[in-house]
Amino acid sequence: MVAPSIETPSGKEDDMKIVVNGKTTTIPKEYRDVRLLDFIRDYIGLKGTKYGCGKGLCGACTVHIDGVATRSCITPLAQTEGRNITTIEGLSGTTTTGSLHPVQKAWIEDDVPQCGYCQSGQIMTAAALLRRNPDPTIEEIRDEMAGNLCRCGTYDRIQRAISRASKEVGK
Amino acid sequence: MTSPSNAYVINRRDFLMKCGWLSAGVTVLSSCNSIMIALPSTTDPELEDSLSWIQVLPGGKVRFYCPRMEMGQATSLGLTQVVAEELNIGPQDIECVLPDTNQTPPFKMTVGSEGIFEFFKPVSYGAARMREVLRLLAAEKSGFPTNQITEDRRGFILPDGGKLDYGALVPSEPMIVSADASEKTDEVPRQYAFRHIGEYNAIGHRWKPPEMEAIVTGQTVFSRDTTLENMLYGQVVRPPAFGAILKSADGRAAKAMSHTVSVIINTDDNFVGVVSSDPFLLSTAIDALDVQWELPENLNQEQIDAQLNVKTLRVRDDFEHTLKNSGDISKGRRAAKHRATAHYGTSFALHAAMEPRAGLAWVKEDRVEIWCGCQDPFFVQKRVAQAIGRNVGDVVVHTHRMGGGFGGRVPCQASEEAAILSAVVGYPVRVQWDRETECQNNYFQPSFSHFIDAGVTADGLLSHWQHDFVSSPIITGLVPRNIAWILDKVMADEGTARGSEPQYRVANMLVRYADIRTDVPIGAWRGLGAAPNTFAIESMMDELASTARLDPLEFRLQNLSPTSNRLARVLRRAAQMSGWHQRPLIDHGLGIACAVYKGQTAVAVVAEVKIDHAAEDVRINRIWCAQDCGLVINPSQVENQIMGNIVWGCSMALKERITITAGEVEESNFDTYEILRHDETPEMTVALIDAPEQPPVAVGESAFGPVAPAIANAVFAATGRRIRNLPISYDSLFSNGDA
Repeated sequence: MVAPSIETPSGKEDDMKIVVNGKTTTIPKEYRDVRLLDFIRDYIGLKGTKYGCGKGLCGACTVHIDGVATRSCITPLAQTEGRNITTIEGLSGTTTTGSLHPVQKAWIEDDVPQCGYCQSGQIMTAAALLRRNPDPTIEEIRDEMAGNLCRCGTYDRIQRAISRASKEVGK
Repeated sequence: MTSPSNAYVINRRDFLMKCGWLSAGVTVLSSCNSIMIALPSTTDPELEDSLSWIQVLPGGKVRFYCPRMEMGQATSLGLTQVVAEELNIGPQDIECVLPDTNQTPPFKMTVGSEGIFEFFKPVSYGAARMREVLRLLAAEKSGFPTNQITEDRRGFILPDGGKLDYGALVPSEPMIVSADASEKTDEVPRQYAFRHIGEYNAIGHRWKPPEMEAIVTGQTVFSRDTTLENMLYGQVVRPPAFGAILKSADGRAAKAMSHTVSVIINTDDNFVGVVSSDPFLLSTAIDALDVQWELPENLNQEQIDAQLNVKTLRVRDDFEHTLKNSGDISKGRRAAKHRATAHYGTSFALHAAMEPRAGLAWVKEDRVEIWCGCQDPFFVQKRVAQAIGRNVGDVVVHTHRMGGGFGGRVPCQASEEAAILSAVVGYPVRVQWDRETECQNNYFQPSFSHFIDAGVTADGLLSHWQHDFVSSPIITGLVPRNIAWILDKVMADEGTARGSEPQYRVANMLVRYADIRTDVPIGAWRGLGAAPNTFAIESMMDELASTARLDPLEFRLQNLSPTSNRLARVLRRAAQMSGWHQRPLIDHGLGIACAVYKGQTAVAVVAEVKIDHAAEDVRINRIWCAQDCGLVINPSQVENQIMGNIVWGCSMALKERITITAGEVEESNFDTYEILRHDETPEMTVALIDAPEQPPVAVGESAFGPVAPAIANAVFAATGRRIRNLPISYDSLFSNGDA
């Protein structure tokens, strides 16, 4: 048997481009219908963005598209042409110092994660919230985070960490 | 002492290489053993097992092969702190490794909140033994006798004031120390994990899990994230219903696709699988298959409920197991001034861990490698060997952190599928279940159906307690059918019965149950029977208090068994935090419940609910929880577990239920199987009772049981309507009849 491998079609003029964490990647034509989540994980190779439900119900796959929290599992690549995508791996790059994002720092400070699987999505939703609203009330945090499920039950600490990070962001 | 090391140190590089202990260092080793049948690993750890878990590397760093798998419960951190305590080291001096199956002898599956209470002692012992072996090496090196060598951080102080770091004691050659030889160190080494609380340097401290930064930056590798060069992508068409039989499959169209590497059809084994070279196009090949199944008849929720109905069993007086039979129930009934009888029920449920399972397998001629996250890698090893007809010894399972477990990942079926596919194509194959596959194809929490008849004397004491219940076997749920029927004849499933003995003093008591296998696959789910049984018991306690017009807190306190001081303490603490005796607002109610998990961990919960008539909703506003789990190794992580239990308990109370239709689970994703969301989560207050003189006990599932009954009792306080079946819904609450 011949060793099979993923064919990487050569770039053509009309190929779409996608910018992930500041890096431009050409999307092969036949992959235009692929979900952004799968492309990020299995083509670009960034595994921090997680699959949880495939239907935009749990938030594990949350990334930023032009700074807005978006469910990558229900986003076809075709909708992302020319847009700036940030994944959990690129989040610290969005800070001026390039160090951990205040949300990531607060997450460590408050010992938020248990299994950790949903936390990339939680952090991306939280970071987008603080970008839009640097000083959210507890109610605003609870409403915004309602789309991100955590089966380990870390919600209370997530809320505390976002409040903590908002103080940091507001400085 | 002359050259003691010759007596107990054996240089055996070959042995280490074979065992996969490739790095240099010192290991205190005991014999390896393995069980050859494909059943979960159930042997409790023994002290000597621990000798193979701890290694000191050249340079002095300690490597701890943690004999527990990690799914967020942070046991690996707690046990790391125990090792550190014995070896006088800090977080930076130790690395914790989740071992592959070739790195330690087999250990028990990671279940039942046992990580700390079962492993605390052996881990402490193994680490203390290692410390004393190092002291002997220090004696050998320095010429001073061991009793003059005192301990210091990461090493020893000599009588002449010199310091010997562990790094200076460990040879660069791989080396093991046999268990027999290590006994020459001292009779039994002093175990610092048992010393006085004030003296701890690692235990009791809020060490941070070392994985935190990797988790928050997306670098942690879960099983879904593993890749290998030349990896192919596989998917197996799972039966659409329990017991569905493959009639035929046509794979020609799938095979014709250029990215399809192989289509594997085996009707005898109910197996249809596809291997593709393209992860994005794999699903097109699956869609192109024409697969015909013969579906089971009559496997519906109604029929299953009828099998597991306590009313039917009571008519037949058919309860095969008697847990408790003391005094005389009829005499007790006569002594009752107030009497209550009620039926309670809880539902079938899913684990719904956030990471659907995945496995990567590479079946080679001489070796089979599996990468997966699971609660029992040695069980996965055996099941993979069985699935592809290989020797267990040929299979190595590389373990991963799990994206949630909760009892649902004892096996990893995706790994078995990947192995079958890889055996055919000869390349590494990855299989990832999607959410829908996960919802249908694992095992489940069974429903519970209860009847309780109890009463209160004129003095406010329990006159009698008769509790009959029925559910399915849980601990033996995974045992294959052809063996199970024999097992069922001789065994009462302790998992089904967990938490069913009330913590109260009752002279006349009868507790009976039946564990009946249905066609629904059953296995461990958080706490097993503890939460369903606690729901029934603590709901009845509330009914009795209400019937006798007694305060539910005082009623519990005055009926606790005399040995329940710790439970009394947590009850008072939870009540005090909640302002128990204050008058609630309109449409608000407070409810209380308590339990002792596995006879170890005392927990009390108070819930405050609000009935929102405008939104037609039952809201849980606040939860207060007090827990006594003895010595707390890491307070932050214990608090995390308790909060997780509270969220799970709220979710069970308000949301979780599956319905089976024609052998199919109707709820296939989070739109239909809802779990508690952030905005529905109550504000929570957790108090840990300080009891460092008591050994550390179960935490991962302990606080869960009392949560749902506390909520149901709060609903009663707010509405006067009694919840007897979970989940609670506003509609059923305000329709006629029992909720």
